[in-house]
Amino acid sequence: MRRLLIGFVALAVLIVLLCVATLCFGAVSIPFSSVVQALFSPGADISSNILWNLRIPRMIAAVLAGASLAVSGLSLQTVFRNPLAGPFVLGISSGASLGVALALLAGIGFGSVGVLGSAALGALLVTLVVMFAATRFAQTGVLLIVGLLTGYFIDSIVSVLIAGNSSESLRVYVAWGMGSFGRVTLGDVWMFVIAVVVGMALIGVSLRYLNAALLGDDFAHGLGLNVKRSKICVLLGASLLAGATTAFCGPVAFIGIAVPHLAYLLFKTTNHRVLLPGAALCGVALALLGGLFPASVPLNAVLSLVGVPVIMWVLVRGSGARF
Amino acid sequence: MSEGNLQTALLECKNLLVGYNSALETMKIPFDFSLASGTVVALMGENGCGKSSLLKTFAVLLKPVAGSVSLEGKSLTEWAPRERAQEISLVRMSSAVPPRMSVSEFVRLGRSPYSGIFDSRTDEDNRIVNESMALLDVADFANRPIAELSDGERSRVFLAEAVAQQVKILLLDEPNAFLDIPRSHALFRLLKKIAVERKMGVVVSTHSVEYAERYCDKIMVVNGGTVKVAAATDARKAGLLDWTETFE
Repeated sequence: MRRLLIGFVALAVLIVLLCVATLCFGAVSIPFSSVVQALFSPGADISSNILWNLRIPRMIAAVLAGASLAVSGLSLQTVFRNPLAGPFVLGISSGASLGVALALLAGIGFGSVGVLGSAALGALLVTLVVMFAATRFAQTGVLLIVGLLTGYFIDSIVSVLIAGNSSESLRVYVAWGMGSFGRVTLGDVWMFVIAVVVGMALIGVSLRYLNAALLGDDFAHGLGLNVKRSKICVLLGASLLAGATTAFCGPVAFIGIAVPHLAYLLFKTTNHRVLLPGAALCGVALALLGGLFPASVPLNAVLSLVGVPVIMWVLVRGSGARF
Repeated sequence: MSEGNLQTALLECKNLLVGYNSALETMKIPFDFSLASGTVVALMGENGCGKSSLLKTFAVLLKPVAGSVSLEGKSLTEWAPRERAQEISLVRMSSAVPPRMSVSEFVRLGRSPYSGIFDSRTDEDNRIVNESMALLDVADFANRPIAELSDGERSRVFLAEAVAQQVKILLLDEPNAFLDIPRSHALFRLLKKIAVERKMGVVVSTHSVEYAERYCDKIMVVNGGTVKVAAATDARKAGLLDWTETFE
């Protein structure tokens, strides 16, 4: 119990500090007192402007994306009983890429829904394919392969689209593909929030299943769970979280696959009552940390540069832990 | 009235045929069977004869090809899954264990059918979990990962989980496959003890004639597509065990 308390308190403190840092530091440094003033009595000055139009949206995006990817990755790893599973494995990020590529590069009439809508549509499309596979094949291994194959297939389509393009839209597409927390605006952040709340709720109501699923579907069935319904619930929730994040922030790698392991090493439990919130907080902290770097450095590169050594170190330190 | 009739039937099969599909039935002749509380039934037969299919049918992992199974008078399929999970549990020693799960975390899963939507545990749950771990003698390594245990230790952990589930009917698929001789004796003694004390019905598949005759009340044999049941003391005389010595 002490481990849980210390873990959660430490993460909360870290996240608060990172939030403050996100608001204070950037291309222009804003002193803490100005930040506080701009927060509570926003004026027309530059500080208020930067804070409300750039840094607060970026902070919210990082928090939502970090929590979403971590929870999505953890639940996928549990359902697939595979430590390498993650949002990318289901091909969801690829689906979002396809939507954006079709809109930007092939000029298919997605212009009206914008980059965001195209990404969401693409992610949804792949989710439906994976869902269909999930109801057809009982074996999670097959589902994993379906997700990977779908991802490869879509990446090929995107490559073909890129090959036939050399215009401004290609530049926009490549920029989108880098991943960034800086694209969300206060005007459209509510959609992101709704998607995350619904996704988290779908996974939250499947807690009993997630804990039992570690032992396999027959075992979960023996504990009185509706395995098929729970599995679809979790996959839908994980897809929604990953799809929304990819739509708003571009394909953000690494958090989904790595953070669940970090959360385990921190809390030393397989109980999802602890692991889900734990992973969410770890994801938020890592995303905020990644978001602190200058916007000119690609987010994915930062996350891996910062995250890999951290997690390697934790793995080596906790060498008693195995996969 | 004999003593057997006074015991309540927990599980009752009528004209049951078990198998994976109707074209390739594992069993050919339908059978009746009734599991009384307080009794341990040994389920015997050659590999591949359908022992596991039968246990899976009782655990509703497999649909009967024909006939019906009722639990406390109500058809198995009519039970709400969660309530059924409070009555019946199938323990399979071959379950793949997640590498990071500890013994106590696993045994705690046994309380899942009683928990709320957020899978919390009450003090009562924790008491039952501790009691089950003590009963199966696994409390000493409660915090070790199951994956690091020996096969014998793991068997006991699996059993502790089912005991924590507080079921009326315990189905065990070859629980002594990995146990040494003293532990096998202890296991069967324990099965008999908890069956009597907790008024449970136990069906245990095993390849060991010795334990079946010595510790079980009835012996159920699946052989050549038929199922026969006899009191453990009569099974040999009735020819139920002849197949054990006639392999060509």
